[in-house]
Amino acid sequence: MTESHDRALPVPQIMPADDVERTAAELDQTWAEPGTLWGWLTAVDHKSIGKRYIITAFLMFVAGGIEAALMRLQLARPENTLIGPDRYNQLFTTHGTTMMFLFAVPMMNAMGIYFVPLMVGARNVAFPRLNSFGYWSYFVGVALLYVSLFVNTGPDAGWFAYVPLAGPAYSPGHRVDVWAQVVTFTEIAALCAAVNIIVTAFKMRAPGMSLDRIPIFVWAQLVVAFMIVFAMPAVATGSTLMLATDRAVNMHWFNPPEGGDALLWQHVFWFFGHPEVYIIFLPAIGMVTPIVETFTRRRVFGYTALVMANITTAFFAFGLWVHHMFTTPIPELGQSLFTAASMVIAIPTGLQIFCWIATVATGRVRITVPMLFLFGFIFTFVNGGLTGVMLASVAFDKQVHDTFFVVAHLHYVLLGGGVMPLFAAFYFWFPKITGRRLGDRLGKWHFWLFVIGVNVTFFPMHILGLEGMPRRVYTYLAPTGWGSLNLLATLGAFVIAASVLVFVVNAARSWRSGELAGDNPWDASGLEWATSSPPPVYNFVYPIVVRSGHPLWETTVERPVVTGLATHRREMLLTTTFDGRPDSRHVDPEPSIWPLYLALCMGVLFIGSIFSPYFVLGGIGLSTIGMLGWARQSTEHVDRELVALPDCRLVETL
Amino acid sequence: MIATLAWWMFGVAAVVWLAVVCATLLAGRRRRRRREQGSDGLVRVEEATDRRLERVVAVSVFATILVLAGFLAFDFAVGRALAQHPNVALTIEVTGRQWWWSARYEDPAPHRIVETANEIHVPVGQPIQLKLRAADVIHSLWVPSLNGKRDLIPGYTTTLWFRADTAGVYRGQCAEFCGLQHAAMGLYIIAEPPVQFAAWLAAASTPTAPPTDPVLVRGQRIFMRQCAVCHSISGTEARGTVGPGLSHFKSRSSIAAGTLSNTRENLTRWIRNPAAYKPGVRMPAVAIDDTELATLVAYLETLK
Amino acid sequence: MKPLRADGDASRLPTVTFGPRSLMWWGTLGFMTIEGWTLAILVAGYLYLRQNYDAWPPLRTPYPSLLVPTINVALMLISIIPAKLAADAGRRLDERGVRRWLAVTVAITVAIVVLRWWDLWALNTRWDTNAYGSAAWTIVGFHTSLLVLDAMDTIGLTLFFWFKRLPAKAFSDVANNSFYWYSTVGVWIPIYLLLYVGPRIF
Repeated sequence: MTESHDRALPVPQIMPADDVERTAAELDQTWAEPGTLWGWLTAVDHKSIGKRYIITAFLMFVAGGIEAALMRLQLARPENTLIGPDRYNQLFTTHGTTMMFLFAVPMMNAMGIYFVPLMVGARNVAFPRLNSFGYWSYFVGVALLYVSLFVNTGPDAGWFAYVPLAGPAYSPGHRVDVWAQVVTFTEIAALCAAVNIIVTAFKMRAPGMSLDRIPIFVWAQLVVAFMIVFAMPAVATGSTLMLATDRAVNMHWFNPPEGGDALLWQHVFWFFGHPEVYIIFLPAIGMVTPIVETFTRRRVFGYTALVMANITTAFFAFGLWVHHMFTTPIPELGQSLFTAASMVIAIPTGLQIFCWIATVATGRVRITVPMLFLFGFIFTFVNGGLTGVMLASVAFDKQVHDTFFVVAHLHYVLLGGGVMPLFAAFYFWFPKITGRRLGDRLGKWHFWLFVIGVNVTFFPMHILGLEGMPRRVYTYLAPTGWGSLNLLATLGAFVIAASVLVFVVNAARSWRSGELAGDNPWDASGLEWATSSPPPVYNFVYPIVVRSGHPLWETTVERPVVTGLATHRREMLLTTTFDGRPDSRHVDPEPSIWPLYLALCMGVLFIGSIFSPYFVLGGIGLSTIGMLGWARQSTEHVDRELVALPDCRLVETL
Repeated sequence: MIATLAWWMFGVAAVVWLAVVCATLLAGRRRRRRREQGSDGLVRVEEATDRRLERVVAVSVFATILVLAGFLAFDFAVGRALAQHPNVALTIEVTGRQWWWSARYEDPAPHRIVETANEIHVPVGQPIQLKLRAADVIHSLWVPSLNGKRDLIPGYTTTLWFRADTAGVYRGQCAEFCGLQHAAMGLYIIAEPPVQFAAWLAAASTPTAPPTDPVLVRGQRIFMRQCAVCHSISGTEARGTVGPGLSHFKSRSSIAAGTLSNTRENLTRWIRNPAAYKPGVRMPAVAIDDTELATLVAYLETLK
Repeated sequence: MKPLRADGDASRLPTVTFGPRSLMWWGTLGFMTIEGWTLAILVAGYLYLRQNYDAWPPLRTPYPSLLVPTINVALMLISIIPAKLAADAGRRLDERGVRRWLAVTVAITVAIVVLRWWDLWALNTRWDTNAYGSAAWTIVGFHTSLLVLDAMDTIGLTLFFWFKRLPAKAFSDVANNSFYWYSTVGVWIPIYLLLYVGPRIF
């Protein structure tokens, strides 16, 4: 073994174009992912996984929308007989479960998985095989829910599955077990994505990208990743370790006669459930800033304030959960605390909105389809945020809890605050993912139909709730007079459907034959725009050195890069956590089948557990093979490694 | 009280929403003003503008805090006021079951205890305390015109206070998803002047006289054979507790927890096939022919 | 596109690092956090259910026995030593040291896993008797799954070190594996105190 000193800085020099091309060609070869089915199944490229995640999540959005449309058809008239109570209960449960667990969180994770590495200047996420495993787990969850729905075993106790209704006594059969396991798979997927995003954002940034130069989009994803780490275990514990065990092996967590407690479920579920909505909302507003910056031609006002607002919102989100339980016998003093917290959380969000308005007011505005959707976001989300503040009042909530007023509120914030920025993000980043732009005219149709549809559907529901219409009812009596507003809401729902159809047509056409985009069609400032559209597998030929939070708006004549990463194997640069100084090199794994295999084993284990404990043992056995295979892949010997020992000496191995 | 709070909150919220939307529109409209741009088309913002923006944002945040503090104070005040209730009140025990409500008026003298279902009589102008329990899953009792809702949770006894200031019939509904017929779990609170209420209570605690008419006697026998397993009628041997008590059944205005009005026709149709009106209901379709059914209904119609 | 200027050379940066400089350390920390937090939630549930009872354990449920669980806790604490020695050997790139101390760790770990079966029954109640039993069994059961997973990881690593030619990064993996083992043991101490010792004291 020989010792050597740390690297010496060479004299900066312009790189000849030939050198760059040659490096790119070598990288093309080393990082190639075969275009076969096997290549697709074994892919470890975050963009490949990100794309399939986005598409699957979008399909779930459509599926959830179809469920909603069916519900609206049934509710359009009083005492309607289109859909009976059993089917209806399955529909609203699946709608909620799909939208919350299979669309919203996975979609936000997917955007993070695709864009965080690009935005921080990395070649891939920190744990590519874990990333793949996360996607396949999610996919197993999707398959489980929808196969069950089609064989009449769809869950029917609500997306929140309150006990004792969801317990063994009042929900016999396997419907709720299906729900519990869908939650397990999606929780695993979210945690895999979260760990990946945190470690990628901390350790794999571009040289010079200190913490105060990280894009707001990445900050939002990072903050949300931490939220996922602390929120998801609660729902997994509740559904898998408490509810599923009550049902399968006769435990008594929620069985009052044996000392169990029905309220415990609510605490555990909502401890997850409230942060869950911020897990959906915060990434969406993280998308607002880069879009606003690009179309006002200025750096956003209040970068530090925006970051602090995100962090504060994340913390507070964990202190609100009892506001879902105001009608239960929780002591009043406790309830009041949660009222206060639920109102206080409006402040950081308000701050973010004020910062954006300030940015728009002092920039040079260009109205594009993404900007239209951001206006729709303000128009719709602020409404929802304000009804949220109203709901925080215990007295008011005791009247409107569990009515359509809450349905109105939640859809306004989720569609306005989550989906509208998401659509804006689609129009903005579609060129980067596909190399082509989405059509502008269809985009405008999409926007107007969507904004009008959302407001026509959900505004009447505020009134319906105030008039006394409860939630989760498959029908209502004619003398209540709720028929006309319900009909209006149903019509609005079809306007929403039309708008989504327009978007799908736009996306399908543009993917094939849209206008070619080039590297940076919007003249935006983030690192993702410094490479081709779509990016090559390895993202960047060389790691780019950044000197500000807006690398592509820096006024240098040349672009500084770091050379020296090997091209014969998949090498990436790791940097220090705070300052972003180059620190070490890391070798990425080759494509692998083990993530898919392990996800299928998990499927056997958890789905099988619904039917028999032997599946658990079998699943463990099968998984062991997978873990061995995965580990073996990581233990191929490598020659001439440079090891940095803890005492700072550097040694070279044989 | 809640309504006042609600209208104030709504009003302020509407103003805030309008302000934010207008601010956004205005901010976006100012395209005419020439912005200082670099050769790259980017806007460089001057120090002075930045300071001004900081002040505007800070003021806006402060205004937000003030508005929220106002809401909070108002809410606490209303909450405290609503929480005040006197020590003495009429107490009624209500138990929620899938998918009906049973109500029990306690009395130290056992023969004056009244058990009824789905329709709760109360005296006007007096504070009423409902003690709420759940027999199976979580329900929630909600009579919008009288007060907010309260959950009925297995393992817990919860309380709901209200006072009906005007006489009338107040409709309520279950407000926590409780299974297949959550949508059809209604109830009525009937507020009447204290004298009338006392009369009702007295009548309700009096068992119905046994029938003398042979048709009615036959009807009662059919009831004992087919219905007494689940239903009870005071003054008879029917003591079933699975379904709603039917003592003084004909004095109720609705059947099936507020789903149908209490007419002879509806009753006949209901007994013949309950699941046609409430799919999933626990009451089975009883196997009796039309004549027997008519006799049974005739008997039930006499239970005033 | 702007011309590129070479502004740094990465070719002499290390490819294997230890501790927070390495990605796997962070991955391990992430896993520890998630699993530890899950246990915390289960413990919160256990304490929440306690308020439904006057007596704890409930009447007619015996106290958990202390003999085997205490022996097991002692074994766990002892096992920290070979784990640490293995990690130290890893940080010195000492292959023989790693083999030796990983083998010792495995031996003690297997004993701990075997004794865990008796830990479960030492609760002196079944999981389906009452809510107390359900909560206690779930907590110990969940920790058991972590224990088994960690044992399998350690066994796998040991086998690789004995029978395969490994890259230098494997030494970093040894240090991370010990790191994870400390947390598996560490998180058990308060649980042992709460579940086994606790009912006798408060």
